[in-house]
Amino acid sequence: MDMDRNSLVEAYRRMRTIREFEDRLHKDFAGGEIPGFVHLYAGEEAVAVGLCSHLGDGDFITSTHRGHGHCIAKGVDTAGMMAEIYGKAPGSCNGKGGSMHIADVDKGMLGANGIVGGGPPLACGAALSAKKRGTDNVVICFFGDGASNQGTTLEGMNLAGVWKLPVVFVCENNGYAETTSYKYSVSGTDIAARARGFGMPSVAVDGLDFFAVAEAAGEAIARARRGEGPTFIEAQTYRYYGHFEGDSIAYRDREEEESFRSRDCLSRFRQTVTSQGLVEAADLDAIDGAVAAEIEQAVTDALSAPDPSLDSLTTDVYVDFPASQLWMFQDEPVRV
Amino acid sequence: MNLVGVIANPASGKDIRRLVAHGSVFDNDEKVSIVRRVLAGIDSTPVDRVLIMPDRFGIGLKATDGLNVATDVDILDMPVRFEAVDSEVATRHLVDLGAGCIVTLGGDGTNRLVAKHAGTTPILPISTGTNNAFPVMMEATTAGIAAGLVSVGITTGAVAQMPIIRCTGPGFEDVALVDAAVYTERFIGARAVWDPDRLREVVLTRLRPGSIGLSSIGSAIHGDDHPRGHGLFIDVHPDAPTTVRAPIAPGLILDVHVAGTKPLAPGDSIEATVAQPSVIAFDGEREHELPEESSVTMRFDADGPLVVDAGAAIAEAARHNWFHAD
Repeated sequence: MDMDRNSLVEAYRRMRTIREFEDRLHKDFAGGEIPGFVHLYAGEEAVAVGLCSHLGDGDFITSTHRGHGHCIAKGVDTAGMMAEIYGKAPGSCNGKGGSMHIADVDKGMLGANGIVGGGPPLACGAALSAKKRGTDNVVICFFGDGASNQGTTLEGMNLAGVWKLPVVFVCENNGYAETTSYKYSVSGTDIAARARGFGMPSVAVDGLDFFAVAEAAGEAIARARRGEGPTFIEAQTYRYYGHFEGDSIAYRDREEEESFRSRDCLSRFRQTVTSQGLVEAADLDAIDGAVAAEIEQAVTDALSAPDPSLDSLTTDVYVDFPASQLWMFQDEPVRV
Repeated sequence: MNLVGVIANPASGKDIRRLVAHGSVFDNDEKVSIVRRVLAGIDSTPVDRVLIMPDRFGIGLKATDGLNVATDVDILDMPVRFEAVDSEVATRHLVDLGAGCIVTLGGDGTNRLVAKHAGTTPILPISTGTNNAFPVMMEATTAGIAAGLVSVGITTGAVAQMPIIRCTGPGFEDVALVDAAVYTERFIGARAVWDPDRLREVVLTRLRPGSIGLSSIGSAIHGDDHPRGHGLFIDVHPDAPTTVRAPIAPGLILDVHVAGTKPLAPGDSIEATVAQPSVIAFDGEREHELPEESSVTMRFDADGPLVVDAGAAIAEAARHNWFHAD
């Protein structure tokens, strides 16, 4: 796998941005400023960035309730995201979606999703669209070990297999579905092996290693672009914080957490590229500083931004309906 | 107290060779089933205790769930990192506890990790990996019986010492059981080796026609016409004049350009200096980075791990009427 300096720098910048964004939310949520729930992605950065580093704006991703990392990896504006999480008018979805519904279709980000297993059907739809339109666009479908048990996920994998859709199913196995270890909640012991039942190739990768993820992702995405159908990647990873902010994390021990933190994806990336002389440590330090300033500014702007206005209450909920279909909203049903 | 260890690698049989080649997924449910059959086999011998390496997938826990055996079976008490080093830590613990045999479930890579620390403790390697030149496809029940027979000393003639490659490079000392290769890829990444154009110096411990992986290059050149007890050095380069076709990964039969070969007697070394950033791969997996202009030494030795021949163990026990129920 060959990556030039610019690609490496950009990958680091995106991983660092995710970490800074999530660490800041972890801190600020405790202050009570943020409405609703947030589910933080810190620790899993190598997965989102390893996959999305192969994508352009014409490619799509579907996401989960833990979607901030996917958004940033796909290029969604962090200021808009922060404003969205604060519920402010300049937010990515005009402040009406919040953490679990951030979307940016222009960037190919089809939305974080509060429904566990909600992404795979959307991914199949987007992939069918790409196939019918004759493009070589692909769809990355992120989901967790909990969603691997959902009917929607298994149905989506079946459909993608039958129609050879250009989807890469990426199971971010962080070990816990909310507070339940997947050793308990996943019947059988092997999520990656489930894909075999749908006739698609399946690999497991170290989700804490950017280069391992990016290499497998490159092969899977190239396969999808060639029209060879879906692939399944199980990325074995770990979330540093609880399922949600405020989670007491009584279901896992400190020793386990420290073990995973000692293999931190950002530290490993830094070690690899600096030891090989591909990027200078000072350049990475400069990125750290710039990203910290960017996130600080995003929070400052979000705090001072206006709330959505009352007269926008009913907008942005539905797309503009065609006039011919407005009968659906009439008081009296139309008989046909 | 007599002890057998079981190390089942949950990561074996799932790497990128499912995408770039045609490797089969070896699912962990099958490993659970294999461990249960190993335990059943061990239970038919006088072994007192079995300890199974803990892992993130809970292979050992699921294998022992509801299992009805008289042998005392536990999960090994050790710190777990949920990565390859767990196999090494488990081996050290089992050796310290005096295990009479260690049963492994994995491919060449898994057995390499165990062999690094097994010392004089025999290994019984069951194949559940991608490239399986070292472990053997065998029925787990009989593997368990053989492990028990060897562990308690009922059979003594079924253990053979395998050769090994000892490597020294910038900041590391390591070993390979089947093959060591310089590979012109900058990153460890997804680990697997599958592009013959990136191969350079290759050292093999064995030529076994019919096997898969880099050792198949040696077989493709020499068949089984090779001095007994010797390793082989293969000088590979994309511009070399001789081309052989070899199955270097499952379903992946590719041209390899060979400049020359040389038999290696025990103690012989090959030193390679890399002209560009590269890695050293052991048993088909990229393991250590090699900076530009750095050197690595690969030494072929005869004193590698002790390995159980399950069939020979059972045959020896049968000669002593050990299986007679009366």
